[in-house]
Amino acid sequence: MRNLFAFIYRFRAFLVFVLLEALCVYLIVRYNTYQGAAFFNSANKYVGRVLEYQSSVSDYFRLASINNTLARENAVLREEVMRHKATAQIDSTGQLDTAIYASTDTTHTLPYILHAGRVINNSVRRTNNYLTLSVGSADGVQPGMGVMSSKGVVGRVKTVSEHYATVTSLLHSQMLLSAKIKRDNTFGTIKWTGGNYRMAQLEYIPLHVKPVKGDTVMTSGFNTVFPDGVMVGTISSVARESDKSFYTIRVKLSVDFAQLSYVYVVENTHQDERTELEQNAGILTNEQ
Amino acid sequence: MNSKFGIINIVQFVLFVALQILLMDNLVIFGAGFCFIYVAFLLFLPIHINRVFLLFLGFAVGFSVDVFYDTMGIHAAASVLLAFLRPLVLNLLTPRDGYDTGDSVNIHVMGVRWFLVYTLLLLLAHHTAVFFLETVSFAEAGYTLVKVAVSTLFTGVVMVILQLLFFPSKKATRA
Repeated sequence: MRNLFAFIYRFRAFLVFVLLEALCVYLIVRYNTYQGAAFFNSANKYVGRVLEYQSSVSDYFRLASINNTLARENAVLREEVMRHKATAQIDSTGQLDTAIYASTDTTHTLPYILHAGRVINNSVRRTNNYLTLSVGSADGVQPGMGVMSSKGVVGRVKTVSEHYATVTSLLHSQMLLSAKIKRDNTFGTIKWTGGNYRMAQLEYIPLHVKPVKGDTVMTSGFNTVFPDGVMVGTISSVARESDKSFYTIRVKLSVDFAQLSYVYVVENTHQDERTELEQNAGILTNEQ
Repeated sequence: MNSKFGIINIVQFVLFVALQILLMDNLVIFGAGFCFIYVAFLLFLPIHINRVFLLFLGFAVGFSVDVFYDTMGIHAAASVLLAFLRPLVLNLLTPRDGYDTGDSVNIHVMGVRWFLVYTLLLLLAHHTAVFFLETVSFAEAGYTLVKVAVSTLFTGVVMVILQLLFFPSKKATRA
């Protein structure tokens, strides 16, 4: 017995080393698979405060470009409002008998609610990039919700605390996004392959369709995370490799991740219902 | 030179981690050269520090960076590896007559060659661990190796600059 203790004492450094490395590997694996409320990440209250302070300094240097984006977005929204006003004046079906015509209740047609949030931490150059937002569960943000900016898709909420949320960026090696080519509705999967943060790859586009450089790629709406038709990017090159049964398509992302300042978290009020239905039917895929 | 873990090391811990999070996070050269300046805390610790204590310090500093980087466990694993290898590299580089009690990791005291070999060996191990744990696979090993090489050089240069700027050169150099 004494020999055993002597042995352990002699190799204590190595044993502690092995134990700590095992703990690290456990942390890595757990964090990569587990979605929910983790304590030790940038959604943590104190960590979030430090990052918020940092971004409050660095945001000063980008005020001009932030204002520009907001103003441009306002213009687009205003245009849309005017268009809706015009159609509302022409369209009088809302006043007709609801027994014959479907009532135009907006909660039935658009189950999506947007929560605006400020980006307080962001990275684009790592293999697995994350963002931290200064909105949290107190503002109605929940893990699994989609995140978009005025230009297009940004990512998906990973964990939330009361006032902060971490987001798995589209620039993450494990992130898959269901997308389609707008012109002919062929759907595939968007995947970021690392390196350049403006480019991603569109996979699983079969060889019988003819994608063209410049085609718009948008979300498919097949998942409950994003609404149908949120911009993802435009096709920048199409290659056909002889040993593959799918095209190799490079997509230029519409969002410049290095310039993100304000984003919207998309809440789908029908998500639970739809997920449950698809799960019960046994057709739910793991694709995000 | 102090040969014990003291206030100065705690100050270095806070300072280097803060620099890493607030400044170095935004500083990437050619999309491949990352600077992990927080490693300086582990490198500049006293030479005769307890090995087990050193391992826990490595875990602590790596974990603090992980919390801010959202890379749970990756930097902690690499830093623990570095902390484990440090005594071995120090043994390997022992001067002919052993370390004096006054010796510390200082470019003026130990000489440029000693410092460069010590730093680059440990940085190489640390950076290799970080980048390969990040990608998990060997799929893009070429690109990862380029990242390791460029980042090791970058961090190494920063370490030398830190030494030349902030570490006193009161003692005469060893032969």
